This record gives sequence, C-alpha cells and structure tokens, in this order.
Amino acid sequence: MKGLFFLMSAFLLTSCAALPTIQEPTAGQAKKSVACPSPFLTEKTRFIHAIDVQAAGKTKTVMIGVTVADPATRTFSCAIMSTEGMAVFEAVSGKEGVNVTRALPPFDAPDFARNMMDDMELIFLEPAGVVAGKGVFAGGEFVCRRRQERGGWVDVVAGHEGRIQIRRYSECGALERTVNLNGNSRDAYKTIELQSAGLMGYSLMMTLIESEVVRDIPAAQK
Amino acid sequence: MIRHFCAKPICLVLFVLLVLPVWSARADDFARLRKDSARISTITADFVQKKSMKILSKPLVSEGKFYYAAPDSIRWEYSKPLKSVVLSGKGGTKRYVSSGGKMVEDKTGGAKAMQIVLGDVAGWMNGRFDSNPGFTAALREGTDTLITMTPTGKSMAGMIEKIEITIFRKDASVKSVRIVESATAETRIDFLNVVVNKNIDPSVFQVVQ
Repeated sequence: MKGLFFLMSAFLLTSCAALPTIQEPTAGQAKKSVACPSPFLTEKTRFIHAIDVQAAGKTKTVMIGVTVADPATRTFSCAIMSTEGMAVFEAVSGKEGVNVTRALPPFDAPDFARNMMDDMELIFLEPAGVVAGKGVFAGGEFVCRRRQERGGWVDVVAGHEGRIQIRRYSECGALERTVNLNGNSRDAYKTIELQSAGLMGYSLMMTLIESEVVRDIPAAQK
Repeated sequence: MIRHFCAKPICLVLFVLLVLPVWSARADDFARLRKDSARISTITADFVQKKSMKILSKPLVSEGKFYYAAPDSIRWEYSKPLKSVVLSGKGGTKRYVSSGGKMVEDKTGGAKAMQIVLGDVAGWMNGRFDSNPGFTAALREGTDTLITMTPTGKSMAGMIEKIEITIFRKDASVKSVRIVESATAETRIDFLNVVVNKNIDPSVFQVVQ
C-alpha cells in the first residue's frame, strides 16, 4: 500500500510543472505588441466544422461538429454528428451547467460533455479571469497569462507568422490543452488544432465548413 | 474517445431505398414487394441529404452516390460536405473517411456498427421488408405511396422515432425519405438519377481512393 501511495505521489508530482517563464519585452518588442492577443469571438456565431479525431498521430475518425457560441452570455450549444448525418451528441452549456439532450455511446461517458464544453470555451471565448502576466517567452512570442477563476492558468500566445496559440495549464502548472488557431483575424477559426495532453491524449483537427453570425430574434417577434 | 457511433437509421433507410424502386412498382402490399424485389441485380443512384436540427439555421446538405449489386455488395459514398465511403459485402464492412486529402479506414467501431445493420440487407433484398423485428412497417396508398417504419424495441429509443418513405405512384420512383429522430431533428434524403439493373464494375465495391 505504501508503494502504491509512493507511486501515486510520484506521478502527481511529476504531472506538475513550472509554468513557462514570461519575460519583460525588449523595447522593440513592446512597441509591436501592447494588447493581449484576442482572436476570440465578439458576437454570437454558429460554426460547422469537420473534426478529424486523431490519437497517436493517426486519424481515428472524422465527425461533423456544430457549435453556437455566444460571448456575451458565455453560453454554448453543441452537436456532433457522423459524416452520414447521424446526431450522436447534443448539449447546451450555460450558467446552470451542461444540459445534455442527446448522447449516444461513447458520447455518454462521464465528463465528456463537461470536458467538451471546456474545450469549446477555451477555443472560442476570451478567457475569464484576471491578467496575471504579460510579456514574451524566450522565443520572442508575445503572451498574456490569465489566472482562471476556477483554478489553473491560460496563456494566449501571439506566435510567429501571425498564428495564435492558447494553452491551458492545471493549478500546478501541468499543460492540459494546446489550441492552435490561424491567427488574430476573421479567419481565426478556419482551422483549429486542439491537443490534449496526457497518457490518453488526443488531437482534434477542425476544418471550417461554414460559419455565420447569429442574430437572435427578439421574443416579441417570435 | 470515439470508438463507436451508430449510423444505423440512415443506413437502414438507404437499404430501403435500394429496394423500393422495384418493390414499389404498383405495390399495394408487402407480399407484392417481396415478389418484385427478386428482380433487382444492381442499383446506382445519386442522393441529396438534408439534415435539420434545432442548432442549425438551415439544413445541412450532403450529397453522394449509392451502389448496390446483388446479393450483398454496397458502396455508400458521401462526397459533400465531407467525403466518406462505406463498403460492404462478403469481405465484411469497412468505413473510410477523408483525412489530409487521403481516404483512411475508420477503425473506431463505426464500420462494425454498420456491419450489424448490413447483415439485415439480405433480408431486405429478399423482400422481407416487413419482417424486421426492429421495425413495424405500414404501407398507405394515396396520391403517393407512403411507407412508415416505426421502431418496435428499445434499441432505437432516443435515436429514431420513425422513417417515412414517399414514392410516386405513377412511376414507382422514390420521392423522398424522412427520418424523424426527434421533434426537432430529422433527415430527408432525395434520390436522383436512379438506375436499376445496369452493370457496375466490381471494383466499385472494393476500391476507395
């Protein structure tokens, strides 16, 4: 039992890591970037993406994902369907939590919905929480670090060649998710690459099929 | 993460569509459909699929092609918006998806799920249209012929409420298929350019590029 405890403790300790160091920008770098990178949505938008699910570098399957994200209310509606059009998962997320309306196996697994909504939030919405650091990484990429209200950290990094990278860390600094976006533009969500860290890590390569701004109809006009 | 998903309802409908162009010729009961189904040797058809869901502002349109050769070879191919192919026959069932410009085999279990369904195809091809214990089938003649399939067991619970197949009476061609998944979600498939009993190259059922 002591051995198991030791192993578990060792695993937990090695899972944690120091957050990447943020340095003060040089005079030249400071002139280039004064604001935090923000590719995130500013209005309610509907996306339809092809989702290439990969593990160990190989494609496992391809699905179609529909997401409606509202940055004003920080709410989501999501659906996943097969390429043949069979809906396998539908859920909405809001202040009251996640409400799953359809989940066929394996999408009915515990925590799947919550984890998926967290991933959607990471991709589409400006991170909630206070800016805890701002500067550059050793490689010269500009970064803003936020302390999440529910614990953990999120770095939004303006990489070279205009690409944006979002990294989510656990409370103890372990990297949990990495998101790569096209850039700080209207095309930011044309291709999205999400990588999940860990032993059961996976990658989602999302390619935009179509998107549109959603204008809610006032209740009186419905 | 994703090991298994079931495309069973849509697959089932496509089986029905394969058979109906012949079955439905002046069909007024299932016995007649069984008799007529024996005439099928091959079918080729284009299809347009419109998926409606509450989350979508307008239907998601997919297009593809469907091939069948008796007794049990099927190629079910989507070309838009995403490419995917299901091949089924004596060698089993394989599903391919497009990734990085190449077609790669989906080994997550989707093909396995479909193989179970495709196992029923022989029954459908033999005209046992109303003998699938998973569905009750009702046929109604009107301006068009309407076949309604309703799940009987719990296996389809939460997945599908009913399937409606509408057929033109005048020429016995399929007009539309409606798969009702819930009050707010349905799939409609329209078949076009249906060709029956024309030779199909065997490679169609073996090769995915």
